[in-house]
Amino acid sequence: MGDTLYTQLLDLACGAFLLAAVVVLWLRQLASIVRVFALQGVALAAVAALLGAHEGRWELLAVAVGIALLRAGLLPHLVRRALSAPAWPAHPGHHYEEDVSEARETRPLVNVAASLLSAALLTLLSYAVARPLVELNPTPATRALPVGLAVVLTGFFTLVTRRRALAQVVGFLLMDNGITAVAFLAASGVPLIVELGVSFDVLLAVLVLRILTTRMRAAFGGTGIDDLRELREW
Amino acid sequence: MNPIGAASAAAAALAAAGGLLGAALPGRARVLASGACTAALGAAGLAAGTAALRGGHWTASAPALLPLSGAHLAVDALSGLFMAVAGGVVLAVAVYGIGYAAGHGPHGTGSRTAQGTWPVFALTLLLVPAAASVSTFLLLWELMALTSLVLVLARHRGGGPAQRAAVRAAGLWYGVMTHFAFVLLLAGTGLFAAGAGGETFTALRAGAHALSPGTRGVVFVLAALAFATKAGAVPLHPWLPRAHPEAPSAVSALMSAAMVNLGVYGIVRLGFDLLGGGPRWWWLLVLGLGALSAVHGILQAAMASDLKRLLAYSTSENLGLALIGVGAAGLLADAGNRAPAALALAAALLHIVNHAAFKALLFCAAGSVLRATGLRDLDRMGGLRARMPATCAFFALAALGAVALPPGNGFLGEWLLLQSLVHGLAVPGVVTALVLPLAVAAIALSAGLAAAVFVKALGVAFFARPRSAPAGAAVESPPSMLAGMGLLAAACAALALVPGLLGDGLSRAVAAAGAGDGPPLAGGALTVRLDRLAAAMSPLWVACALAAAVAAVAVPARLLARRRRRGNARLWDCGGGAPTARMSYTATSFAEPLQRVFDDVLAPQQDVDVTPVRESAYLVERVRFRRSVPDRVEHRLYRPLLTAVSGVATAARHLATGSLHLYLGYGFFGLVALLLALAVQR
Repeated sequence: MGDTLYTQLLDLACGAFLLAAVVVLWLRQLASIVRVFALQGVALAAVAALLGAHEGRWELLAVAVGIALLRAGLLPHLVRRALSAPAWPAHPGHHYEEDVSEARETRPLVNVAASLLSAALLTLLSYAVARPLVELNPTPATRALPVGLAVVLTGFFTLVTRRRALAQVVGFLLMDNGITAVAFLAASGVPLIVELGVSFDVLLAVLVLRILTTRMRAAFGGTGIDDLRELREW
Repeated sequence: MNPIGAASAAAAALAAAGGLLGAALPGRARVLASGACTAALGAAGLAAGTAALRGGHWTASAPALLPLSGAHLAVDALSGLFMAVAGGVVLAVAVYGIGYAAGHGPHGTGSRTAQGTWPVFALTLLLVPAAASVSTFLLLWELMALTSLVLVLARHRGGGPAQRAAVRAAGLWYGVMTHFAFVLLLAGTGLFAAGAGGETFTALRAGAHALSPGTRGVVFVLAALAFATKAGAVPLHPWLPRAHPEAPSAVSALMSAAMVNLGVYGIVRLGFDLLGGGPRWWWLLVLGLGALSAVHGILQAAMASDLKRLLAYSTSENLGLALIGVGAAGLLADAGNRAPAALALAAALLHIVNHAAFKALLFCAAGSVLRATGLRDLDRMGGLRARMPATCAFFALAALGAVALPPGNGFLGEWLLLQSLVHGLAVPGVVTALVLPLAVAAIALSAGLAAAVFVKALGVAFFARPRSAPAGAAVESPPSMLAGMGLLAAACAALALVPGLLGDGLSRAVAAAGAGDGPPLAGGALTVRLDRLAAAMSPLWVACALAAAVAAVAVPARLLARRRRRGNARLWDCGGGAPTARMSYTATSFAEPLQRVFDDVLAPQQDVDVTPVRESAYLVERVRFRRSVPDRVEHRLYRPLLTAVSGVATAARHLATGSLHLYLGYGFFGLVALLLALAVQR
């Protein structure tokens, strides 16, 4: 694989990676958001695979396959299952009507236009912050480093501004994708064992969050995070 | 192998064994095993300390034991003195503690937690003075604070609601104040280590003179305040009169006789040895803290009617006296008059030794009374002399030490202290001319008040008739408690009669601290001579002379009394009926004249509540009189502080509204602001 081709493919994958994060902010249907998240997983796996192919480290290909399975397959599947799970009746005899808005992020705290603008600003910020890191060793991979940072910030932004618990789970996963991307781009791949550990961690977190979401629905009839306000101590 | 090292290793092994056995064994075996291991540990500490006082040295380091820094231990004569004191107290109190804990059932003092922690606490008391690097010292210091906190809380389980609340409050005060002190200590020693370029004591000694005077001052003030908190010096004392009464008595004895000493050790080690002495204002600070503690502590003790609270305030007073000695030593050394400086430091150290002996005995005796009657309130005791003769004798012996009159063991330390201050007056300078006489006055005042305090404690608790049913039903303590107290009583008597035996050890300790020139004391078994000053004292002869004088007065009186046999007749009662126990002196009434004298200082709160019979202004149904003497320093200094802190905390609640988005937002905006700052700053 020629250097030019490698650079172009890497930029393409990173572009898709960043774009997916921005599109998550743009979309409202939770099902579509999960689909875009799966696409981002594919882009991340592509980054890993490209790095592995370019540097001839074939164990990175195994990592890439693992990432694709987990982040483009298992995690979206789990989130989707939580999305389609029927709401439990809160109490026997009290039949709870399906909240139509549960499948949509109806009223984010920051509207879509402002969210997209913020994503642009956050991307600018990450480029500004990452400049000294890029200057240390300007390879194509390090040049793409700000993308990972931007995805981390966008994911955090999603976590802060979205009301539905599942949208927040996706935000959390975006952050994790971003962190993984930074690790790949800065250190040209992490050892298999570290990646396995991190993935396992994320998987557990998603499982726990899924259970929590289901329980929240059973208890409150929805996953609006604002309902949790009443849980405070005073 | 070095005897100090062998003894220290044995102590550590015994602590591990005692801790495990105390946490694992059931019931009575637990108390026995833990207590026996702790007693043996104390004996090992005493042996190690004595070997160091005889001139031995020991250093050890285990680079792999603590991450990054390694553990370093070093024992010189100064460490040895404090190790020996702690070891001796641990030995006796552990023996006492076996009987004490066995009488308290499986909860509280006899619980797995308490018995498992007990040997570890004892070990930290031995090892803190042996630490030879900042991180080792801080680790052991914190371990000591935590284990003692666990022990203070031991009575929480198995008590009534009032006791639980009191224990909780005591634990909270102690925990917060000791950790406040730890933060100060961490900051001070961290600054020192960073400036000196190393964290072992050797590196600190070498690098201390490279520090700027300002840094040295900050290091000393931070660390001195931290150590003064541990020593219970006013105004950093409020934990002391709370924690000591609420802790089990054996724990109080150990804390009051061994733990608080380490505050003085810290100031001596840091100020003289590591920083190599300092300017005058450092020592004026220490001396001022000491004088304030001495007077305030003994005044509060005079007003206290809770026996253990009284003893706790007396601890504050005695540590204050030791701090006066340390401050005077620094002041005189700074002025270049090194002979009285050495003497003042020796006096402070000797007073620590004496205080440890009599205060441990006093707390043990108070624990015996508490165990037999369930009372801490002096007003409800009385008449215990006939019911608990041995405890009464021990308490009297220890109280004699505490009043600092011959032939008690506290006398010599205060005499030496006064000698050094009086001889220090020769030092030119306005400050010394002003401060030293004031310090002498503070010592004299506290000594006088101490006499009243301990007359009150002994007389009201043990003499006259019992003023409550539990006091009337008291029985003497079991043999192991008496054995423990007997050991302490023997130590008190030895210190009172032949203190000269300590002379060489004290001289070595002072030399190790580097506070003055030449051995300040010399003496054989009988006489203590001050080498550089023309003074000498033979406590044994003083005691003999006193005994002879008492015999000369008492024997003829007895003989005369025997000649004229008294007939038993009823006391003339003015027609008012036989006097009852309620008419006898109580602690409150005994202290009342003193309270009048110090009315302006103490600011007692009186409250008279008269309820007249309905429709009559002249017939009274009930009069309720209530008086309390609150600790004024605590009242004026800590109350506003706590109110302010809780106000800020209430205001801070508005930051936490319960909205998850807001919480996440704090994190997000914090991160973005940080990144922005990074991006802009470049």
